[in-house]
Amino acid sequence: MLKTSDQPVTITTIKHANAKVMSPSTAIRARGLGKEIDDWRILLNLNFEIPRGAYVAILGANGAGKSTLLKILATLLPASTGQLELFGMPVRNNTIRLRSNIGLIGHNSMLYRDLSARENLIFFARLYDHAAPVQRVDELLQYVGLHHRADDPVKTLSRGMLQRIAIARALVHDPDLLLADEPFTGLDAPSCKLLQELLSHQHAAGKTIMLVNHDIRQSLELAERIIVLRKGKIIIDEPSVNLEAESILEGIST
Amino acid sequence: MNRKCLVYGFWSVTLALFVASVAMLFLYTPIEKTMGPVQKIFYLHLPIAINTFLACFVVFIASIGYLWQRKMWWDDLAFAAGKVAVLYCSVVLLTGMIWGKSAWGSWWTWSPRLTFSLVLWLLFVVYLMIRPSIDSPQRRAMISAVYGIVAFIDVPFVYLSVKLLPDIHPASIALAPAMKLTVLVWFLPITLLALGLLRAGYLLNRQIRTESQRNQNMVFESAPPASPTPMEELA
Amino acid sequence: MNRTLRQIGLLIQKDLRIEARGRQTIGLVIVLGILIIVVLGMGLGAGRPVSGFGATSILWVTYLFGGVLCFEKTMAVERFDDALAGLLIAPIDRGVIYASKLITNLLLIIGLALVVTPVAMTLFRFDLSEHPLAFFIVMSLGVTGFTAVGTLFSAAVSSTRLQGGLLAMLVFPLSLPVVIMSTQLMRKVFEEGVPLTSTDVATLCAFDMIFLIVSWLVFELVLEP
Repeated sequence: MLKTSDQPVTITTIKHANAKVMSPSTAIRARGLGKEIDDWRILLNLNFEIPRGAYVAILGANGAGKSTLLKILATLLPASTGQLELFGMPVRNNTIRLRSNIGLIGHNSMLYRDLSARENLIFFARLYDHAAPVQRVDELLQYVGLHHRADDPVKTLSRGMLQRIAIARALVHDPDLLLADEPFTGLDAPSCKLLQELLSHQHAAGKTIMLVNHDIRQSLELAERIIVLRKGKIIIDEPSVNLEAESILEGIST
Repeated sequence: MNRKCLVYGFWSVTLALFVASVAMLFLYTPIEKTMGPVQKIFYLHLPIAINTFLACFVVFIASIGYLWQRKMWWDDLAFAAGKVAVLYCSVVLLTGMIWGKSAWGSWWTWSPRLTFSLVLWLLFVVYLMIRPSIDSPQRRAMISAVYGIVAFIDVPFVYLSVKLLPDIHPASIALAPAMKLTVLVWFLPITLLALGLLRAGYLLNRQIRTESQRNQNMVFESAPPASPTPMEELA
Repeated sequence: MNRTLRQIGLLIQKDLRIEARGRQTIGLVIVLGILIIVVLGMGLGAGRPVSGFGATSILWVTYLFGGVLCFEKTMAVERFDDALAGLLIAPIDRGVIYASKLITNLLLIIGLALVVTPVAMTLFRFDLSEHPLAFFIVMSLGVTGFTAVGTLFSAAVSSTRLQGGLLAMLVFPLSLPVVIMSTQLMRKVFEEGVPLTSTDVATLCAFDMIFLIVSWLVFELVLEP
């Protein structure tokens, strides 16, 4: 049983619409992926394949290209070179279609502070053409345990609560791919624990999760597989059981 | 070494042409009847005005180039062209005002042509002024490029809008053949000067850019300096 | 098509709801507009009737300053807490975001104009009754072009930290042709009694169309996170 500072939360079951059109067994396939921004090479010739339902952590020093990689995976930035396929579809021609199957959690909440949690979530549910936005949002607010604060403006909520609503926002369209960009930054221990549980729960429900993180031990604990970037190149790509925190730290810093 | 010779050669030719044009202006070209000697300013005014448009056009093309390829040298080129445009436009504005003083007796009238030069000058002065207030080089290049494109598209509308102003300007001045020849000769040094300034400004911008990038101590590896830019090949 | 319109509607509804919550923008620009009119009124000699030419100039000053504030505010809503990223990863076209911001800005400026124009008319004893239609057409076309440019640059500027005054610096010179055009047309209509020709209206329309199209094309690049 988890406890947060304000309210006990049970992770209840949540319905998953499994009848998605996109069903290949590979969630992400990157071939020779590279990114140049102006005169700088941020990412160099990345090759990796992420199967559906995997939980992968991306580690690296500041400026190693983690966030840029995540933005490319989220279809927010185009890659300069190479090919990227999500769910067997090349990103270049299917951007809008693929976006409806991607959820993003950042270190910012991406919510409108003057609107309430419910208004925010209903807005995004409508934006994703959800058939029954009101029920879906009710369900999600129960899921993240914030039903009692649903009608307060988001700006009155604590950082931990904000991040829970941010997760609900990312799940509003029930995406198969969840991208998280340092979601634990600035959270207190209980909120952090709850967020971990929510991510693990989503993983158990069959979602593919890509987590950019800077806490090595936490990542080893959470993820099944670790990708380490250094100066825009992949230097480690292994199942987390084969790795130790010290060796990763060494790889990052040398 | 060879390149240096070329540069010196270029500037010597430009200077020589300037001297020749000035000599021609005072020794050969006849004095216009109604305006008197002040009319001679016209031979400077027209070629500079046309070169101003060309410089604005370079800003436009370089801005499109930057948005298309996202290479910083396009931004450096656009910035250099912007400086030339503002410099030349200032001269156009000043010579226009001198003309106006002698023709209509006041330094400023809201005549279509003067207003047009003033608005054009404002458009491109702002282009130069906004740049230092944007910190990130990427954002600066991007905002400047969008501005450069919109500003150039603005020019025909500025022209159409000032045509609505009441006009006291003579539509056109009949030129004697000798006068026409002088105008043509004046085009040469002025265009060469614009090119020289553009190239010098561009190289200066490139140099500042590489220095600031080196100082940034970036974690990323720099892209190979391979891509020799068209301007450098020319140089 | 239907879907696009629905999305635009959804985004506008969201913006207006945020605006209704705080009423920070519309109240601010209306008060600013009235302040500008009072300051100009003192300078130009209050009580004397002003021609249509003067009227449009004075109104343009309020629209320009109020408009730039509107553009800044409506985009600031998106920049706070990275809300814009939430829109960018949603399956909607970038043009939808531009269109919705443009319409929200237009609605705000119309709100401003509806209050400020009658106030100015009363304070200055404007007489627009001779050619109200010409006044309406020219001003609304002018404001549309100004808003098209302003909306584009609001997206470009608000992601840089130093934005105080920068947006005004970018938008004012680019809007000059439309300002000159509308004030000159008003001078012709009200002082010389020359009726508005279809060429004049077409030029203003062309300005609006070209800037709408260019902004729509470039907006995607400007929005990059």
